[in-house]
Amino acid sequence: MDLGVLLQALVGGLATGAVLGLVALGFTLVAGTVRVLHLAHGDVVVAAVFTGVLVVLGRTPVATTLAPGPAVGFALLVLAAGAVLSGAAGWLAVRPHLADVTRGRATDVVGWVAALVAAGLLLREVLGLLLPQEAYAVPDPLRLDALSGSGVFALPGGGSLPARVPAVLVLAVVVGVAAERLLVRSRFGRALRAVADDPDAAALCGVPARRVVLLAFVFAGLLAGIAGLLDAPGRALSVDDGVVLGLAGIAAALLGGLGSLRGALAGGLVVGVAQSLAVTQLGAEYSDVVPLGLLVALLCLRPEGLRR
Amino acid sequence: MTVVELAQSLWLLVAALGLAFSVQYAGLPVLGQGAFVAVGGVGTALLGPGGAGWPLGLAVLTAVVAAGVLGHVVALAARRLEGAYLALATWALAWLVYRAMLAFPSAFGGAQGLVRRVPGHLVSPALGLDWTLTPAVHVGLAAASCALVIAALIRLDRGPAGLDLAALREGPELAASLGIPVAVRRRAVLTVTAALGALSGAGTVVLLGLVAPADVSPLLSLQLFVAVLVGGAARWWGPVLGVALLTALPHLADALPGDAERARGVLTAALLVVVLVVRRVLSLRPDAAPPAPRIAPEPDEAHLVAEEHPVLLRARGITASYGALRALDGVALDLRGGQVHALIGPNGSGKSTLLKVLAGELSPDSGAVEVAGRVLAAAGPQARVLAGVAATPQRTVVLPRTRPARQVAIAVRGGSRPRHAVARHLLATPSSRVASQRSALMVRAALREARLTPVADIDAAELTFGEQRLLQVARALATGARVLLLDEPAAGMSADERATLRHVLRRLAGNGIAMLLVEHDMRLVNAVADRVTVLVAGEVIAAGRPVDVRTDPAVQRAYLGTP
Repeated sequence: MDLGVLLQALVGGLATGAVLGLVALGFTLVAGTVRVLHLAHGDVVVAAVFTGVLVVLGRTPVATTLAPGPAVGFALLVLAAGAVLSGAAGWLAVRPHLADVTRGRATDVVGWVAALVAAGLLLREVLGLLLPQEAYAVPDPLRLDALSGSGVFALPGGGSLPARVPAVLVLAVVVGVAAERLLVRSRFGRALRAVADDPDAAALCGVPARRVVLLAFVFAGLLAGIAGLLDAPGRALSVDDGVVLGLAGIAAALLGGLGSLRGALAGGLVVGVAQSLAVTQLGAEYSDVVPLGLLVALLCLRPEGLRR
Repeated sequence: MTVVELAQSLWLLVAALGLAFSVQYAGLPVLGQGAFVAVGGVGTALLGPGGAGWPLGLAVLTAVVAAGVLGHVVALAARRLEGAYLALATWALAWLVYRAMLAFPSAFGGAQGLVRRVPGHLVSPALGLDWTLTPAVHVGLAAASCALVIAALIRLDRGPAGLDLAALREGPELAASLGIPVAVRRRAVLTVTAALGALSGAGTVVLLGLVAPADVSPLLSLQLFVAVLVGGAARWWGPVLGVALLTALPHLADALPGDAERARGVLTAALLVVVLVVRRVLSLRPDAAPPAPRIAPEPDEAHLVAEEHPVLLRARGITASYGALRALDGVALDLRGGQVHALIGPNGSGKSTLLKVLAGELSPDSGAVEVAGRVLAAAGPQARVLAGVAATPQRTVVLPRTRPARQVAIAVRGGSRPRHAVARHLLATPSSRVASQRSALMVRAALREARLTPVADIDAAELTFGEQRLLQVARALATGARVLLLDEPAAGMSADERATLRHVLRRLAGNGIAMLLVEHDMRLVNAVADRVTVLVAGEVIAAGRPVDVRTDPAVQRAYLGTP
């Protein structure tokens, strides 16, 4: 393989992987705090993007460049939709099935699993009824393509890269690291860790445990919205893409050790590069099979992640 | 409904019944039955006539076995107790199989799927058999499979497997502490589920001559999941009702506007939500006020200090730490048969840690635990139970939907695992009848010892708190253990209930059982214990008869502060 193609695959994979890291960060946040596997997380990413598309461009969107006003509106809408949808999943689907000490009830695993897959399915199918095409081109409110005049960057070794790819890589890494620092340093982060350790003890110490659980979902949803904004304009997005995106994010989170924020970001990069190399070396048909196969193998062989 | 549709629904019911075995009988969240159906269908199409050309029977058998192996492997994800990872693993598997079928059209025929000639033929030159599988024959075959599976489910639920399943479903942690190998049982259950899913897929592809990705998609997995949730726990008719609903679903979807495929998805999600809401409403029955204690206290028998019995459990030099914190430092302890040995000490002195080490839940950094003269590795509670050591959890764990007598029977099953008990019960061999009579005797004896005979067959939710604590003792005893580790059995008991507990413990001691009693109530300790060990900051500061320990200056210092 010549250097140009390798570089292209590597940088492209890192960019996809950094975005996956944001998805994984949200997933690991919820898993670490609430001890729930957010099975609808990927659907929230895609649904957030399409909510923006539906509101700004309507049911028959065409690939266009947005004027600055609508572009800002679109971006804010996607973030808000991510937060609201994820929060709703946490509040409506998960909360009723969590352990309740005052009623002497244990966590109903079958209940929250079923409720979250139902939420994901509902998001996909309702959007599918509203947007019947196979896939859609999503506008880029950040106009990352305009970073270079020709829309591409030349790589040493003869390869080239869409201009948005390195920009996505940088932005996603910056957002990921900032979110990680925020979660480690802030009061909110401390409250999250207290609830993760022992929700009842945290509640006794005055931490509003229920609100913190809801906020974990909302924060994960915000990250999902950002991931969607960065990822969606680079490809033809289908309403059904959310599941595999979410599962790839879960594979990244597991790879980094579930509950570890930095691990999730690093795991995202690994999964992204693995996927990209598989596609360039073996063929495009491996783009879904590799992360899904990785996830199944991880769950069966090393559910505690590679770090232990 | 045409004959073909009827046969198709019956084959689907086979998959649903298989899934019910995991979801409703064993409490495992399996979201990937569609993947196993796909393995059965695609495997049969690829290997059988029109594919590799194997005889149809052999192709089906191979596909079913392959799916079983796959189920066995995926169940590795259910090693952890909570089981949620299994939902994730099976859901990912459902998508993996679906996307792989679409991604490799040369092998799986792309979106159209694999097409085979119908009707299929079962041919055996050796037997001179050539059987044309018309739709009517399919109806017969599928109905017979369903009947067989339902009969097996009902029979299984009544035997030793039913005890295992109730424990897996309602309290995997408790099951593990009573010696039931939770991970092994889960793997067996998922293997059966996957094999039945594959049989369903194989039957469908032979019937229709087609297996397309859209027919075995993750949506099918979810639809089957809804179908088995409809009936509630361990009821065979649940999947029957669920599949009937699924059969009606496409007709409903056609009546809705928009893409029929999407409408089916929306309806499936709506059905899932309805089932969840109903399930939740049913589980929120109003909490009845806890019944008043009904155990009459009995006068204490004068208890003589037992003469020297053999040492049943010996701990030597046990050291354990959590990170930098040393919880136990060189603790030694002998438990003799016929003695109640109390372990006391201030909070945080290491009592619970020692209990965990003795119960095999925690491996010590150094030191050894001997049971009846043999050193035991910390191999988990199961190995301990088989060696005759059972622990009761500090927190009360009562399986809410299982009668007390049956909960004790689960413990009997956990403590004595005859080989192939499930298969022998399924075939109703004479030995299985003898075994079930023996088990019934052990259940009765344990209930009698714990004074629970009058409440053996009431609803477990109606047990008083004291009875729940006694039930824990009865379960530990029913494993056949000679050493019982009791963590604060009197916590929350009324005075009358404490008197009964005292009585129960002394009787057990009279039968030669060794007991370690972790307890804060010093009156109970003084009344019941033959020996007392005092633990402070992970070290034994005093051990001996209660009278001597009470007057020990070191103990008084530890409890009352330096004078």
